[in-house]
Amino acid sequence: MRQEHFIQRHQQEWADFAQWLDARAAKPRRARDDPRWRGLPDENMPAAYRRVCQHLGLARRRGYSPQLVTRLQVLMQRGHNALYRPPLPRWQRAVEFLLADFPCLVRAERGVMLASLLLFVLPLLLSFIAVQLKPELIHTLLSPQQVADFDAMYAKSAGKLGRDSGSDLAMFGYYIFNNISIGLRTYASGLLAGVGPVLAIVFNGLMMGAVAGHLQDVGLGDPFWRFVVGHAAFELTAIVIAGGAGLRLGLALLAPGRRRRVDALVEDGQRGAKLCLGIFAMLLLAAFIEAFWSSMGWMPAAVKYTVAAVLWSVVGLWLWRGGRDRDAC
Amino acid sequence: MLDTVREVYTPEGVALRLPAAGPVPRALAWAIDFGIRMVLLSACSMVFGLLGSAGMGAYLICLFAVFWLYPIVCEGLFDGQTPGKRALDLRVVSSDGAPVGWLAACVRNLMRTVDMLPFGYACGLVSGLLDPWGRRLGDLVAGTMVVHVPKLRDSAMLAANAPALPPLQPLLPAEQAAVVAFAERAGQLTPERRIELADIASVVTDAYGEAGVQRLAGIAHWLLGKR
Repeated sequence: MRQEHFIQRHQQEWADFAQWLDARAAKPRRARDDPRWRGLPDENMPAAYRRVCQHLGLARRRGYSPQLVTRLQVLMQRGHNALYRPPLPRWQRAVEFLLADFPCLVRAERGVMLASLLLFVLPLLLSFIAVQLKPELIHTLLSPQQVADFDAMYAKSAGKLGRDSGSDLAMFGYYIFNNISIGLRTYASGLLAGVGPVLAIVFNGLMMGAVAGHLQDVGLGDPFWRFVVGHAAFELTAIVIAGGAGLRLGLALLAPGRRRRVDALVEDGQRGAKLCLGIFAMLLLAAFIEAFWSSMGWMPAAVKYTVAAVLWSVVGLWLWRGGRDRDAC
Repeated sequence: MLDTVREVYTPEGVALRLPAAGPVPRALAWAIDFGIRMVLLSACSMVFGLLGSAGMGAYLICLFAVFWLYPIVCEGLFDGQTPGKRALDLRVVSSDGAPVGWLAACVRNLMRTVDMLPFGYACGLVSGLLDPWGRRLGDLVAGTMVVHVPKLRDSAMLAANAPALPPLQPLLPAEQAAVVAFAERAGQLTPERRIELADIASVVTDAYGEAGVQRLAGIAHWLLGKR
């Protein structure tokens, strides 16, 4: 068949398909609400797309002109994009993910999570005890200026806990930027053969243990524990999970098992990204608690510790039981 | 090794051609995005600067959004195109040619942390130069690649109403394709270049200069099936 003939015969189909793509592909929800559409019906779109694919194959095979082939190729590509695009995110799905899928995912990766927990807790305990026994050890980790800053943050018994200046909102922004960046970076650095998260978690554990040990030692333990105990439920857990996700990624690179290395990376990268969504939510909540609740200096210790106990058990229960009815867990 | 076009077969059995983008257009697109981010940030700092200490918090939240969320949200919402990529006709697609999903957009942008190491996207550059389709580490982990968006140049056919002429000698299929491609592309060429090209084919037109161009166009019409 000559090209002109071919074009004449199928031109109308291509025009209809292009019209459908222009009018209805970009905004499917709005398009469905529009009753005045008289062009190609939505349900006929896949068939029309397959026809275009067939025409493209024919045009290539018969050696039609490059311009026609390009035109069909563009049409086919647009159809392909419309047909195979990912579904729009829904709010209901997001809630479902946080309540059920995320804990499932954490439990499914319990090996790396446990490793991450140990990498965090052991240095923390070690440095805490070491500073208790030998208080001058704090100066190997922190400069005198930093030690003085920490002392100042918890010294003012009447004012806000855990900071020298700044309103609640300013600190909320600071915690969001700082803590979530640390969490995401801990995960991403797992691509460096897992070295990144190991260093990040161990370092964080050492520092926190040392600071806690020092403040306990100089008699500022009470304001310090009252400050940290609440938001730590979400913050520390999130950092440990981020470390676990990073380790998982590093393991995919080091020991992919029976998968190709790149396939292992893609697969575990996706799981890690899902974990990161949960980590993001946890750290957001932690920043909120830290900025507006933890800093209340006047709140009696009993209330603080009761709320903290509730928060810790909520986190534990959520990660332990969340989404247990799922098949995947 | 020189061909950077990746051919992927769709479920319908036709090849999807994905022309991979190299580091230079991607770096330019990044620079444009960087400019946009800086403008956004300075606008935020001016507005929130008036609010004092609370404004500082809002500014930091903006900083977080611009730093981490901007590329993810742009790529997720606008079909794999941040404004910078749109300006340079680039698009992020999944390695199988499908549009990029939200999760893949998250992964490839989170992995920028590693691609940036040790400075100035050096890791990403090395990975992009080693990979046949110019993917940086983040693209490898996310299973995505950056492609040039094909541009549709709809130039009018040369001498659309010229009479169809049979060629003086039978033409091989490749020669036929070359003649048709010439007629379709001639609109983008200067008259001198057209004459130069048509003179090469004087064996089948038996004419030189502008007359040769017209005859070659006629042969193209004849080959396409106009009578």
